[in-house]
Amino acid sequence: MGKVLMKGNEAIGEAAIRAGCLNYFAYPITPQSEVAEYLSRRLPEAGGVFLQGESEVAVSYMIFGAAACGERVFTTSSSPGISLMSEGISYITAGQCPAVFVNIMRGGPGLGGILPSQADYMQSVKGGGHGDYKLLVMAPASVQEAVEMMMSAFALAEKYRNPVMILGDGLIGQMMEPVEFPDALKAEPSNKDEWATNGMATRNSNQRNLVKTLYLDPEELNSHNLMLRAKYAQMEQEEVRYEAYNVDEDYSLLIVSYGTMSRVCRTAIDNLKDQGVEIGMIRPQTLFPFPKTAIYDAAGKKSCRAVLCVEMCMGQMVEDVERSVSGQRPVHWYGKCGGEVPTPEEVMEEVNKLANP
Amino acid sequence: MNIELKGVVIIVGNYGSGKTEVAINLAVHHKRAGRDVRIADLDLVNPYFRTREARGPLSEMGIDVVLPAEQYLQADLPILSPEVAGMIRQPGQLALLDVGGDDVGATILATLEDEFKGKAPRVLQVVNPLRPFTETREGCLKVRHAIEKASKLAVNGIIGNANLIDETVPDNIYDGYAFVHDLSEHSELPLEFITVTRALMPSIDIHRFACPVLPIDRQLVPPWQKPVQFSELDASE
Repeated sequence: MGKVLMKGNEAIGEAAIRAGCLNYFAYPITPQSEVAEYLSRRLPEAGGVFLQGESEVAVSYMIFGAAACGERVFTTSSSPGISLMSEGISYITAGQCPAVFVNIMRGGPGLGGILPSQADYMQSVKGGGHGDYKLLVMAPASVQEAVEMMMSAFALAEKYRNPVMILGDGLIGQMMEPVEFPDALKAEPSNKDEWATNGMATRNSNQRNLVKTLYLDPEELNSHNLMLRAKYAQMEQEEVRYEAYNVDEDYSLLIVSYGTMSRVCRTAIDNLKDQGVEIGMIRPQTLFPFPKTAIYDAAGKKSCRAVLCVEMCMGQMVEDVERSVSGQRPVHWYGKCGGEVPTPEEVMEEVNKLANP
Repeated sequence: MNIELKGVVIIVGNYGSGKTEVAINLAVHHKRAGRDVRIADLDLVNPYFRTREARGPLSEMGIDVVLPAEQYLQADLPILSPEVAGMIRQPGQLALLDVGGDDVGATILATLEDEFKGKAPRVLQVVNPLRPFTETREGCLKVRHAIEKASKLAVNGIIGNANLIDETVPDNIYDGYAFVHDLSEHSELPLEFITVTRALMPSIDIHRFACPVLPIDRQLVPPWQKPVQFSELDASE
């Protein structure tokens, strides 16, 4: 199949179908309602089910239920909706069920606005709900990358029996770009017999599988959390993804930026190159696990004098960047948080201020 | 072959078919030909990438842009400016209505039913066969019928808008033309024109088309790109 022109939201829906996910439960909210719009037409054709929940809270537990039964399942929402789902997400991680959550971020806090934002970084990476849990968080910068991340998200969720979050800003959902879909994936989760509550005794035991989140015995709860912790440590070992841009040059400043914001930075870097100024960039593709080592190494380059974190929020990623840089260089922040995406010129101005203090 | 539209012209089509980009460029095309042009943003379903984002360059050219009140410009609320009814009553030389996608977006037209009485507006369906749901003739006709039902207006022309934005190659244009030509014959609706991104124009043999071509200067771009400036271009196209 050749390239087609798709909105990010539509492409996310199509990618899920091609990844073998035939269950989609959601509640509409701008700027991601096109996913539901698209899947309400496409899923029945593909033999799947789209059910609109009565609220995002309900949706999160519909996801839990389907996931616990071993079904590939996902939902999409935008910031306030994800806040409502956070309770369910905590339960799903506790119950160790695989599921995919997509957050197409809009401005906040509260109802905020409907324009693009990256202000849910902390919520996604540090946990929006309660308890010691983490999500594997991937942040696409293009519609094509959103497709690729969606298609790998289900397998990752099953590998770790943990929810995966795709964190896109409003632009990822709303913009149209040409996309090509990889071949469809195998639908069945490979390890599902070991945990899915299908009512059957398993090959290895006469006990039926049980999914639960209540552990009244303190020792049992402690070991449960230690086991979760080990999974997150494994993610940090195996799942870090990032893109390095212009890092072979002797750059004076390193930008760390993700999502569509990084594409603005890329244009700024290209423009500055034409003016004889070299700037490097690390673009995290996974926000948890965070590309700590890559940022540490890139910031430590001899020519690099400072690090600039560029995001559409009030600097939520700065802490993670500072920890990665580990004091080698000063870390600065630039961004906006009203829905207006900073322009390449604005990023260039900020870079010039830091490069020529 | 020239594109010459008059009176009320309504641009409809499936979601993401490129209606707004077509409407903006159509407005500019007619303005350059010396016509008085008004364009109304009737997109009540799309939250981003709407005509309102090109209001600056359009106004600078003397094109009258009819929008919801300033304080609601960034809202996802279904607001219809009362000026639109006036536009339909007295369209002047060209009054373009850029409508939201699908039947959902076209529903707004039904609320203007009384204004359309006794008038014969042009209702043009934009088709990009490289978009989901309109890659087949049946898909396009399904969209057309849904729009007609929701808008209470008959579609009476087709605009071919085959493109993959920055990645469009000449074959997309030729295949896209063949597609809308076939659609036009089967639906017995005239093919008004097709579009080609201006940057691609030198590599396109326009003699292969039996309809006019509207060059597109892209206005609705992501923040890391710049819209093509209308004023920089030769007005003698």
